[in-house]
Amino acid sequence: MKIDIGKLKKIVGEKNLSDNIADLYVYASDASVHHALPAVIVRPKTIEEVQKIMRYANTNKIPVVPRGAGSGTSGHTVPIDGGIILDMKQMNRIIDISPEDMLVRVEPGVVDDDLNRALKPYGLFYPPAPASSRIATIGGEIAANASGVRSVKYGATRDYVLGMKVVLADGKLVNLGANTRVHSSGYQLERLIVGSEGTLGVVVEATMGIRPLPKYRCLGVANFDRLEDAGNAISEIISSGSQPSMLELMDKIGIIAVNKAMDLKLPEVAAIIMFEADGNVKQAVDFEIDKMKKICEKHNGTDIEMSYDIAERTRLFSGRKKLFASLSRYKEGIICTDLADDMGVPNSKIAVTAKKIHEIAERNNVIMAVYGHCGSGVIHTKIMLDPKKKSQWKDAEKVIEELYDYVHSVGGVTSAEHGIGLSKAPPWKKARKDIIPMMKSIKKALDPNNILNPHKLMDAPDNWVEATNLRYRVG
Amino acid sequence: MFARLFNSKEKPRFKRSKKWENELNKCIRCGYCYELCPLFKTNNWESDTPRGKLLLIYGMITGEIKPTQEIVEKIFQCFYCKNCSDNCSAGVPVTDILTDARADLIEAGFDVEGTIVKVDEDLCSVCGVCVPVCKYEALSIEEESKDKSKIVVDKVECRGCGLCVSACPSGAISQKEGCQITLRELHTKVSDLLKENKEMKAIVFCCNWSLFPGMQLSESLTLVKTPYGLIVSMCSGRVAPELVLNAFEEGAWGVMVAGCPPEECDHDGNYKTRRRLVLLKSMLKELNIEPERIKLEWFSTGESAKLTKSIDDFVNKLDKLGPIQKMEVSKKIGG
Repeated sequence: MKIDIGKLKKIVGEKNLSDNIADLYVYASDASVHHALPAVIVRPKTIEEVQKIMRYANTNKIPVVPRGAGSGTSGHTVPIDGGIILDMKQMNRIIDISPEDMLVRVEPGVVDDDLNRALKPYGLFYPPAPASSRIATIGGEIAANASGVRSVKYGATRDYVLGMKVVLADGKLVNLGANTRVHSSGYQLERLIVGSEGTLGVVVEATMGIRPLPKYRCLGVANFDRLEDAGNAISEIISSGSQPSMLELMDKIGIIAVNKAMDLKLPEVAAIIMFEADGNVKQAVDFEIDKMKKICEKHNGTDIEMSYDIAERTRLFSGRKKLFASLSRYKEGIICTDLADDMGVPNSKIAVTAKKIHEIAERNNVIMAVYGHCGSGVIHTKIMLDPKKKSQWKDAEKVIEELYDYVHSVGGVTSAEHGIGLSKAPPWKKARKDIIPMMKSIKKALDPNNILNPHKLMDAPDNWVEATNLRYRVG
Repeated sequence: MFARLFNSKEKPRFKRSKKWENELNKCIRCGYCYELCPLFKTNNWESDTPRGKLLLIYGMITGEIKPTQEIVEKIFQCFYCKNCSDNCSAGVPVTDILTDARADLIEAGFDVEGTIVKVDEDLCSVCGVCVPVCKYEALSIEEESKDKSKIVVDKVECRGCGLCVSACPSGAISQKEGCQITLRELHTKVSDLLKENKEMKAIVFCCNWSLFPGMQLSESLTLVKTPYGLIVSMCSGRVAPELVLNAFEEGAWGVMVAGCPPEECDHDGNYKTRRRLVLLKSMLKELNIEPERIKLEWFSTGESAKLTKSIDDFVNKLDKLGPIQKMEVSKKIGG
């Protein structure tokens, strides 16, 4: 595969292309454990440039990996076949904000928090809010069907995508979806692109629904001496018909880690639940928050604190907000890896799954924290291990297999909001043999030369430790 | 030693950087540091971010990549605002690691520009004004012979704050363009902001160390236009008098400088700004321009609400004052 750098430079300009090792090495990574060098990085600024790049790549059968901020956790943007990284961050215009129609039109490189900053003066917001919203781009969020702490009330990216412009593998531009809140006009192709991880087309513009900012938000925090009690409290809050705008769990491992990393002095109990209600009528918010408080108390929740004040809410939430990275500080000699990180389970299975995760980790010589947007059934974990020991990677593989076998056996899903990429592909493929032929047919129809983010999802290697480069020096 | 003298490269041994391998593994590469990096906001290349630099250092110490001039340039592009180190939830001491990598690369004979200051020996009179300005002792006078001496820059210690650039009376110290830190680039920013929004009344210079107004990478045609424009300078000490006067010339009704509180400034640049702005205010008086069109206020990290209120108050005051009428004389000064 020989890439004509001169030709690509003509399309995007000298300043928007790099094939020097400093850039190639950095764009070889994302937040996952994987690493693979691309041949070149290009940064298009217009739809026409994306079309020209795709036409060139398709004719010459060169892999193309679209990339937002590179904050993905499963290796979606790691170019395991080399080729072109299509860095979409330069296409970062908020094209239109329409409060009358309650929608926005954006280019894919717009940063989630920037969009919310732009919407705030209108009293509006874009709700999905993944933890990485400070850097994550809308294009990347569409590719992963991202969601976050407010998914329990507001849903995921797919619930906001109304329409989009997509450049296909052969360079053709298509308009998918509509500008209306609903449509029943043929296949919901815009939904097909959501969660496709850059394998079906390049999103070059998106029309997204937005919501009015609630006038009141109240956050509560409760401590629990048993993880099961916390899990059961979450399940009951959901099944009781409450409408939390956030319902988060943090286990003792997570609490110790944030205390060590940030000296937060949180009580080192078995688990903490954070519950929030929002709305425009204070009495309604009071009602919801009080109902959740009572359920926490019923399940032995103690030391409950609640506040409407933004500074106090920020303080109460700070541990959860920074938990992910803090896990590396839990214990000397071990680090936090982004593996088995976002399974989804039915509401009734939260407590038992949380307990099972600790059991599996202990049996396999690794440490796993349990936290996440449990109100939506999203359980975040991370595998904490010594990355230099080869045996620890074998342990990690075993944990993943056992854990996902369990999750699938209780009706859960492999990934709730981060996507499959490389590292979650083996357990997902094992569980979803039924849909893989259909997905392969769709991929073949839209990308017959297999140039768009090849060897991801259903085409990812089965043994990710041996088949992909790990970003750590092992041995 | 000889490599240093003759500027030839020897294979770096990374004896300082190698001790950081475990810390580099602790970095989970979440990329949240992107939001905090002024260099990334300027260039939008991921290799300019703290995460990018840590990746490159990791690659070099593990032997996966060899240092090239491009890689070394990236390692030497940093303003040491420490927003990344101070806010990393994994507690990775980004700038300490960077400093050790720089020392290893300099020892191996690499010559770099990065964000490091350089001295034009033809313009420099070796007056020594710059030497005490640098809090990091990166500048010193070196005697070449009995009657010849020169200013030498320690490339490991230089933090790229550029205070010496503003302090040099001969204009002999400079930094490379492209990182939006040179006086010319700051002038262009002021001018672009005022051209883009005719309703803009105030230019606000924010110190990168004390305040950080969010990611703000995306462009928007539909944003509510503010009557002020924010410019993040590396330190309030970089706000040279001509920059303020030029903002007036370009049509600004007022200029505000937001710096760190005196005891919190990493570079002691705020003291210099205070002195300069006092002088500038009295100069404005001479020109029949209201001195209150210049405002200086201190803000600690996280005091964004205080900043917003202070800007609003300033804009309200400017509304009462109206546009500047007389600029003939200042044109000559700022010209």
